[in-house]
Amino acid sequence: MNAIVDLQRRLRDANYIAERSLAAALLLMLDLGRPLLLEGDAGVGKTEVAKALATVHGAKLIRLQCYEGLDAHAAMYEWNYQRQLLAIKLFEQDDRPVAQKEQDIFSERYLLKRPLLEAISCAEAPVLLIDEVDRADEAFEAYLLELLSDFQLSIPELGTIRAVSRPLVVITSNGTRELSDALRRRCLYQYIDYPDFEKELAIVEIQAPAAPAQLSRQIVEFVQAVRRMDLQKKPGIAETLDWAAALLRLGISTIDDDGAERIVESLSALIKTRDDRAGFTRDVIARIAASW
Amino acid sequence: MVSQVERSAVQDGPALCARLAGFAGFLRANGYPLGAGDLPRVLETAQHVGVFDGASLRWSLQSLLCSRGEEWRRFDALFDAYFLRPNRTVYPAPGAKADKPTSIAQRSDSDETLPMAERMSNDDGDDTRDARHGASREDTLKSTDFRDLDLAGQAREIELLMRRFARRLKQVQTRREARSRHARRIDLQTTIRNSVGSGGSPFRVAWKEARRVRPRLVLILDVSRSMSAYSFFYLRLARELCAALTDVYCFIFHTRITSVTDALRDADPWRSQERLHLLAEGWGGGTRIGECLREFNRLHAPRCVHSRTGVIVMSDGFDTGEPEVLANSLIELRKRARRIVWLNPLLNLRDYRPEARAMQAALPHLDWFAPGADLNSLERLLPNLIEALR
Repeated sequence: MNAIVDLQRRLRDANYIAERSLAAALLLMLDLGRPLLLEGDAGVGKTEVAKALATVHGAKLIRLQCYEGLDAHAAMYEWNYQRQLLAIKLFEQDDRPVAQKEQDIFSERYLLKRPLLEAISCAEAPVLLIDEVDRADEAFEAYLLELLSDFQLSIPELGTIRAVSRPLVVITSNGTRELSDALRRRCLYQYIDYPDFEKELAIVEIQAPAAPAQLSRQIVEFVQAVRRMDLQKKPGIAETLDWAAALLRLGISTIDDDGAERIVESLSALIKTRDDRAGFTRDVIARIAASW
Repeated sequence: MVSQVERSAVQDGPALCARLAGFAGFLRANGYPLGAGDLPRVLETAQHVGVFDGASLRWSLQSLLCSRGEEWRRFDALFDAYFLRPNRTVYPAPGAKADKPTSIAQRSDSDETLPMAERMSNDDGDDTRDARHGASREDTLKSTDFRDLDLAGQAREIELLMRRFARRLKQVQTRREARSRHARRIDLQTTIRNSVGSGGSPFRVAWKEARRVRPRLVLILDVSRSMSAYSFFYLRLARELCAALTDVYCFIFHTRITSVTDALRDADPWRSQERLHLLAEGWGGGTRIGECLREFNRLHAPRCVHSRTGVIVMSDGFDTGEPEVLANSLIELRKRARRIVWLNPLLNLRDYRPEARAMQAALPHLDWFAPGADLNSLERLLPNLIEALR
């Protein structure tokens, strides 16, 4: 338990407010050497976990943003063809044996390291963030499995490259596609929900220290109320912080009786679709504000 | 593996080991996908965090043994049920927030925290569950007998038809490009890569063209009373389609909408029936198409409908709800989906006109509206259906 509280404190020092269960999972991830799969709605701070973890361990953060059509070349490695061709031309004058020239051309000097290869060839264990893995296609997931189970990559021309140090792998998913059971089974799992009032208040206080205490409370209460509404796109933590910044920028130190007016002006930081925006009439805002 | 378990057993005491191992088995009985390989990891975890620190053990095991949101939310209750004495809870279940949008299938699972054995015995009369969806007089609590699902008749034909459908489903072009054998654009990168071996002379030219992928399919099946003659047929179609294609999602609705994808995909036919049985509460009741589609838009569409999705609704269009709700839901669904196709079995009848109010409201928002009551009519429709989903 002490270790968990300690890690929680260190994450807080790295500007990340973590629940104890998340801290426990992060510890277990170190102990068992397994990747951590984070799921949850957009904007609940999944990506931030990896950043905070990197800060806590003083490790390098290597990020692989997944997208549809991401292939092995873009994620693992690529040969630097242009340089290889130049080298071939240069070697023409050279009278070394052909085998040696060939070995030279397919050496690591001509290898472009993409995030996955970079992650396993770091001398000190980095944090590898595989962001929004659900956006990549299933074929890519299969590539990933090889890496996650053995921490090695095979490059036909060069042989198998083993991890120098085991990276801490954090995988995030928004759930736009169901991930395969094979991937899930290899990972520890953590579901991150929208933060409750106390947690979000702590986040606002730590991330927007300029906001007066009363305003912070009002902001968080308002956002929590907005999340309970039936919206297409619920505001995440990033939106809360944006909105706090917007209110500060407008020079507002407290939301008072004519606060509804002010809220309307800065609502674009919080509400991101037209239909949702149409639902936010003055009456609705006044009603939420009145319930404080 | 055995030796690993035994080694831990020596250190932790066999009784404790058995208790922890039993927990993994308990979770498996409650539908968690755990295998024999998980057992050593449970013991290893327990060794790392210690068994006397209940909270740490709970969080660590939760992280280790859960692999999706729905399992995550059920875990606390199961942990309590297994490790604590009856009627004692020390932990306020944090995941149990009522307004969290989860699929109904997940929700109805998540408040069933009883062990599997007890759950089986009282699944029929459990009408308090999910009260805010089921507040309707048209709701029936009757479930149905799914043995018909495995009847031999026409099974082969349905399978063949759906395979043919899957094979011919036109692939949608994407913006990304992939290598291809015959194409018009040169893949310069690969060509240069190939020419490294021949000293820079491009003997082997590589080509690329736009990548094509099959559209994702979302099936929404009406299983209300008025559809009872057809719903099994459609469910069998759906199951074969799920088997033939990977990217298919299937939902059934009557007065509320439920995902049945996982149940249909279950390889064990007996268990598949059992799961459908649990999900199909309300089968053969009234219909509220509009509200069900709105529910679908809210809970499921963000997850499973994207710009290459074809939505196929199979319903007779007899709706007890307001037609405006249906129209609005379809408009919203249109924004997300690529195509919406509506199959109406009654259209095969000679005198039928789509005059039901709901059908009238829906028609302007559909890409294609077609009959489809049996295998023969679907067979005839297939080319058009494929074209419509393109």
